[in-house]
Amino acid sequence: MLLFHKAWAVAGPLPLPLKSSRYQAEPRWFWPRSVYVHVPFCAHHCCYCDFAVVTGADRLADVYLDALEREMALWLAEPIDVETIYIGGGTPSWLSPARLRRLLTIIQQFCSYQRGNVEYTLEANPDDVTEEKLGLLVEFGVNRLSLGVQSFHPATLRFLERHHDPASIAKAIELALKHISNVSLDLIFAVPGQTLTDWHNDLARACQTGAQHLSTYNLTVEPKTALWARVRRGQVCPCDEETERSLYEYTITYLEDHGWEHYEISNFARPGYASRHNQVYWSGEAYLAFGLGAARYVGGTRSSNTRSLRSYLSQLRAGQLPIAESETLTPTERAAETAALQLRRRQGIHRDRFRQQTGFDLDTLLGSALRRHRNRGWLEDDGVTVRLSRQGIFYADLVCADCVASAQSSSR
Amino acid sequence: MTPTERIRNFCIIAHIDHGKSTLADQFLLRTGTISPREFREQVLDDMDIERERGITIQMHPVTIYYSCSRPGTSDAITYELNLIDTPGHADFNYEVSRSLAACEGAILLVDATQGVQAQTVHNAFLAMEAGLVIVPVVNKIDLPIARPEETVLEMEHSLAIDPKEVLFCSAKTGQGVDEVMRALLERIPPPTGTAEAPLRALVFNSHFDTYRGVVVYVRVKEGILRRGQRIRFMRTGREYEVQEVGQFRPAMKPCEALGPGQVGYLTAIIKNIQDVRIGDTVTDAHRPAPEPLPGYKEPKPMVYSGLYPVNNADFEALREALARLSLNDSSFTWQPETSEGLGFGFRCGFLGMLHREIIQERIERESGLELVHTAPNVTYEIVLRNGETIQVKTPQDVPDAGQIAEFREPIVRINFIIPAENIGAIMQLCVEKRGTFIRTEYLSPTRAMLVFEMPLAEVIYDLYDKLKSITRGYGTMDYEFIGYRPADLVKLDILVHGKRVDALSTIVHRSQAERRGRALVKKLRREIARHQFEIAIQAAIGSRVIARETIAPLRKNVTAKCYGGDITRKRKLWARQAEGKKRLKQVGQVEIPQEAFLAVLSEDEEN
Repeated sequence: MLLFHKAWAVAGPLPLPLKSSRYQAEPRWFWPRSVYVHVPFCAHHCCYCDFAVVTGADRLADVYLDALEREMALWLAEPIDVETIYIGGGTPSWLSPARLRRLLTIIQQFCSYQRGNVEYTLEANPDDVTEEKLGLLVEFGVNRLSLGVQSFHPATLRFLERHHDPASIAKAIELALKHISNVSLDLIFAVPGQTLTDWHNDLARACQTGAQHLSTYNLTVEPKTALWARVRRGQVCPCDEETERSLYEYTITYLEDHGWEHYEISNFARPGYASRHNQVYWSGEAYLAFGLGAARYVGGTRSSNTRSLRSYLSQLRAGQLPIAESETLTPTERAAETAALQLRRRQGIHRDRFRQQTGFDLDTLLGSALRRHRNRGWLEDDGVTVRLSRQGIFYADLVCADCVASAQSSSR
Repeated sequence: MTPTERIRNFCIIAHIDHGKSTLADQFLLRTGTISPREFREQVLDDMDIERERGITIQMHPVTIYYSCSRPGTSDAITYELNLIDTPGHADFNYEVSRSLAACEGAILLVDATQGVQAQTVHNAFLAMEAGLVIVPVVNKIDLPIARPEETVLEMEHSLAIDPKEVLFCSAKTGQGVDEVMRALLERIPPPTGTAEAPLRALVFNSHFDTYRGVVVYVRVKEGILRRGQRIRFMRTGREYEVQEVGQFRPAMKPCEALGPGQVGYLTAIIKNIQDVRIGDTVTDAHRPAPEPLPGYKEPKPMVYSGLYPVNNADFEALREALARLSLNDSSFTWQPETSEGLGFGFRCGFLGMLHREIIQERIERESGLELVHTAPNVTYEIVLRNGETIQVKTPQDVPDAGQIAEFREPIVRINFIIPAENIGAIMQLCVEKRGTFIRTEYLSPTRAMLVFEMPLAEVIYDLYDKLKSITRGYGTMDYEFIGYRPADLVKLDILVHGKRVDALSTIVHRSQAERRGRALVKKLRREIARHQFEIAIQAAIGSRVIARETIAPLRKNVTAKCYGGDITRKRKLWARQAEGKKRLKQVGQVEIPQEAFLAVLSEDEEN
């Protein structure tokens, strides 16, 4: 049942540095056409954030860019053709114009992209959006800006420790749209103290801005964050499940009513503006990644970098890759993971394409789980594609976990 | 064939971890039976589970040749020593009595750091009753915390051992081991029995070998067992031609014949292990002995529990796994049963709780099946109004209250050996568990033996855990079945989401029903995951609900974000959730995890 191919026979990471000319004909799950670059620096470490973030280390920015350049050189023997680039963080926009130019130059050196075709995103803090930086981005072909707005409501912003005010957000969006036509906003709901009205206002304001893309995230209390400590001490009472659900339900209803396409659990887009880079993740396709804590998926191997800045810098200074974890997926694991990831997309899993991508028949792989969740009404199945029902969206993790379990036991 | 005066047959009686296997290994090493190169730790414990748990379940006899000089001369005499290993846990008592029947003597091995334990007392008395010569040995004297004098005192008080006879050794370092071996030769009498008499050999164990069929472990009492001989099993009457006879050295090694007093095996193309009854006597078919040897009583399962495949489709595979396992363990029983909640499975009978655990682990390990096991229960006797007496092996079989004239439960006599300071607490525990006090004995100023009679059901219901926690691990216990007694018992049912889950039913004493019911539903509330609807958990006697808990519905289970494509993290989350799903059993609309079926086994601390 499995389809075999010469290059796929590798049972482990591909030999480095990668010669992209050798793999270019390989399928999209195997060979990356997308690149993620991580910039860990932030002006402030927000209480809810558990990502690889560094504050108060401005003086390390140049050293970091040196390391980043070295990392890319270790991975890539020659420039790689890419269709999407995503610079995330951290706060990439926090870099000074000179450093930002250097970052974009490094990327240009290792990634070849066509201006008309590439989706090139940079994450930005509304406060950092200036004419100068925007001009620089446009010069290098950046054509999508993802703004970490989080909320338009002063109390919510304060709770989240975001230091912009509603007025400056509006200005930033307006300014951004003048230079870059594709703008995405991040919004957070289920923040303690936030009411349904507050959230409604946030959504309504977002709709008025002219942004083409919205990511709405349910605030999660991640272990070891400042927020987590406050919850543990009883200083903050997290939102209850019922409220979270109704806020999320409201989000979907409101945005769909206002012409947004719900294309992934947390992502909404104006028609034609679904993020191609995001969809690479949710399709189970390959992508490269560089920078502190960055996670990549290349040649069937998932690996991620260390989250410690010190060891990231020192390992690269010593000419070593700062990889902390690496795992080559077995065909079954890959298929199970692909199914679970694709279920997060509203379009769901297309049976024929799934078979092509993984070599597995979806019904053989997930049989009992599909049946169970169809009966429960959490999955919709028209024979061609399987997707979460409106009801099933709220239990996505359960369904995904069940698919993974089912795949494991069917392969036994 | 070795003349009987140069044969010594013995076993080692010891508590778990008191060093029995290490001492046995020393014997093998010193006599060159195995070379240091072959020496693996605890050679005689073959099975993985035995090795992992450091306990011996099944006997593996071994024949050792030991040369020592005749006192006062330089001539060496070679003795044949047959060591029959014995299990050290209460569940395997009957295997102990089998070993004893094949020996003339026993080493009583006691750990100098732990002192006499309940199991030691029990098995030592068994050996004395069987007329065996006891060679008392105190082990682990090399350890700094050893207290050999106190240990000897305890042996004197609990077992009437003469302190002058006690030997000291360290099986680990080898110190004193030679003295122990010499004592074996001097104190244990050689076997009696002549080669001329008609053959009588005691069958004390067997195992199944794919190539040779059943391998029968025998101890020849009199006469000679030869290759090619026509033999008869006296109790079953079956006759076979002996294909091979041999000794365990420790691997099976063929020889021409086994004479009186010798221990070894025979094979005779016996296809079915059930055809060989342990305790039977092998005799010559052409010149049979007039009387068989006295046998010993067949083990009877005391604890039952249901075994169900998680996927109903695995039922046949489970049946095969059970059949395979029973080839080598005739002491557990199994028969198909059906549960409304769990579907098709088997009701299995075990000798005790450890036996149950080991069997379950072996089935899962050897067959790779995912199983749900229900909480164990004991066998009850019910006298019906029409005068008929029935055996009840599962709560499902309890008839309506109106039909029951008398409900009887099995009672055991239980010995505890505990630190004296815990006497009060253990007394209280036993009274709570409906125990009847029999007597107390002080083994030393700091250690005491308590004897109680108690329902077996209370013993399997967390008694061992409670004993260990009260005595901080220093207490031990051992029990034996003494008979059935009437009691005021009721069947406690559990309803999940309005549906009676038969596998969660238990039989309890009426006075405890309410407390157990409340504790159980509370525990189940924690074990059963939230569903998308509200779930009521109720405990009921007949149609009367005595306790209720509610599980709130799950409204949402979806993570919003995936940082920078860090899918691995997400996959780990799914894998964790998937792991939790492994042993869920769908009962009606509700998924019940394995743990819930065992919840009836113990109470939480808070209750």
